[in-house]
Amino acid sequence: MDLLLDFVIVGVSIGIVYGLVALGISLIFSGLDIVHFAHGELYMIGSFLGIAVISFTGVPYFWALIGAMIITGVLGVVVERVFYRRLTRGGGGYTVAGMGMIICGFGMSVALQNVAYLLWGAAPHPYPVSFGMPIFLGNIALPKSYLYILICALVLMTVLHTFLTRTKLGLAVRAVAYNKDTSYLMGVNVPVMISLIFGVACAMAAAAGVLIGPINYVQIEMGYLMLLKAFAAAVVGGFGSLPGALLGGILVGLFETLCAGYLIASYKDIYAFLLLIVVLMVRPTGLLGILVKVKA
Amino acid sequence: MLSIRGVATGYGKVQILRGIDMSVSEGQIVALLGGNGTGKSTLLKAISGLLPVWDGAIEFEGEPIQNRRPNEIVKRGLTQVTQGKDMYPAMSVEENLRIGAYTRRDRAGVTADIGKVFDYFPVLGERRRQLAATLSGGEVQMLVIGRGLMARPKLIMLDEPSSALAPRIVLDIFSIVNRISRNEGITILLVEQNVRMALLLAEYGYVIRDGVIHIEGDSRDLITDDNVRLAYLGGTVTDAGADAGTGLAH
Ligand SMILES: Nc1ncnc2c1ncn2[C@@H]1O[C@H](COP(=O)(O)OP(=O)(O)O)[C@@H](O)[C@H]1O
Ligand SMILES: [Mg+2]
Repeated sequence: MDLLLDFVIVGVSIGIVYGLVALGISLIFSGLDIVHFAHGELYMIGSFLGIAVISFTGVPYFWALIGAMIITGVLGVVVERVFYRRLTRGGGGYTVAGMGMIICGFGMSVALQNVAYLLWGAAPHPYPVSFGMPIFLGNIALPKSYLYILICALVLMTVLHTFLTRTKLGLAVRAVAYNKDTSYLMGVNVPVMISLIFGVACAMAAAAGVLIGPINYVQIEMGYLMLLKAFAAAVVGGFGSLPGALLGGILVGLFETLCAGYLIASYKDIYAFLLLIVVLMVRPTGLLGILVKVKA
Repeated sequence: MLSIRGVATGYGKVQILRGIDMSVSEGQIVALLGGNGTGKSTLLKAISGLLPVWDGAIEFEGEPIQNRRPNEIVKRGLTQVTQGKDMYPAMSVEENLRIGAYTRRDRAGVTADIGKVFDYFPVLGERRRQLAATLSGGEVQMLVIGRGLMARPKLIMLDEPSSALAPRIVLDIFSIVNRISRNEGITILLVEQNVRMALLLAEYGYVIRDGVIHIEGDSRDLITDDNVRLAYLGGTVTDAGADAGTGLAH
């Protein structure tokens, strides 16, 4: 029983981290109509930036989280403005640039990984934080970092949700995600909103990176598997749906932790995709997915 | 107030407009007529900044606005209500109206204007918390007109408000548009295929054909003009550019 509780807490915490990355992927998809394949690398860089902030300034973990989010968010905006937006020059915006954008995303992923290699090398880095003694649930020791993940991720999601539903800027973000031309006619500065969407999505990825840091070692290849899992989470939840991304993340994390715990642990990374396949067979739109929006 | 001289534009390499000349004076209701696919919506998109202008000049209140960004043009007081009844289905009626006032900073004024829109269109008031996706076609048309008004425009361009609506609802909407123009002093450029209705409302009318203004004149004269009937009934077959455009779309 203690073991099950332990698995559930661990699974949900990991899952919520998947959810944060998936949220960014979904946000970019609904806002820009592209699947961002370099999102795993922004998660990885965010994680490294968290370490950098802690070691350069000595601030507590929580501030490093905020710092890494801001820096990665700005980095995301720069990447979008300087590289991706060039591809939309032919007209039609991101919707039309589709295929080129996917290849550009892959290229960006490789480029960012190499930049990270130059900066931090290939060796795994431990996170320079300690949360003290683990919590004991019966005779199972649960590191406190899992609780930090749960609390921080829930706070972040609440803030994002409040931003999107309660503020004028959030309203504009939702409007742009639905229809760019109409939103332009409302007086919304669409290019700026697209940058904002990208920045927020990258900041969320960085948060995931900093939150997972104390559990795993941080290394430059961590983005790849995270991208695949977050992608699975986004699809399971319903691609483009923000609550769906969160739900999908939690389900994937829970499912893989339980399967790894009770079945064969070395297949851990396969279970996420098993769940993906099953969900797609039963409900192709994902759990909270609406039919893919019809766009001209 | 709005003056358009020799405006040419199109999509990609396909030219649709070949030099449009038009003007709209303050306080007027002006009708822009023409058959399906003659480039009425294309002209509105060029005015509102959604489409680049290839050639010619567009002036609003004496200042050139061609090839400005749509959000800047809206700020100057020129709003377009698109033909597609493009509302935000996942937002409530009230949120749809609020996004229409995006360029405004006066919170109290915005809330007051939402009330005003509900006065003109009481059915929207009854549905203010409902998602726009649940509205009927006529209600959506009212919503997008109301949303256009929320920007407090000096000139509003309405693109075929009557399309795909029952005649009785069209009558309702047109009489409300007339009231709005009188009470609020808003200038209106009305794009229509419903020629008779549009000319009853408007003081002046333009008929577009083959990418240029084919006929123009006072509404009273146009209503009795045989050529207008012809342009209204006649399609766009003579417009090679339009044919190419349609060909691409298939
Ligand atoms: N987005 C587009 N891309 C290419 N061609 C278009 C597009 N929109 C309209 N067209 C073409 O431009 C012509 C004029 O269209 P439009 O301005 O919508 O006509 P109207 O509003 O008068 O019915 C048509 O031939 C149409 O096929
Ligand atoms: Mg049209």
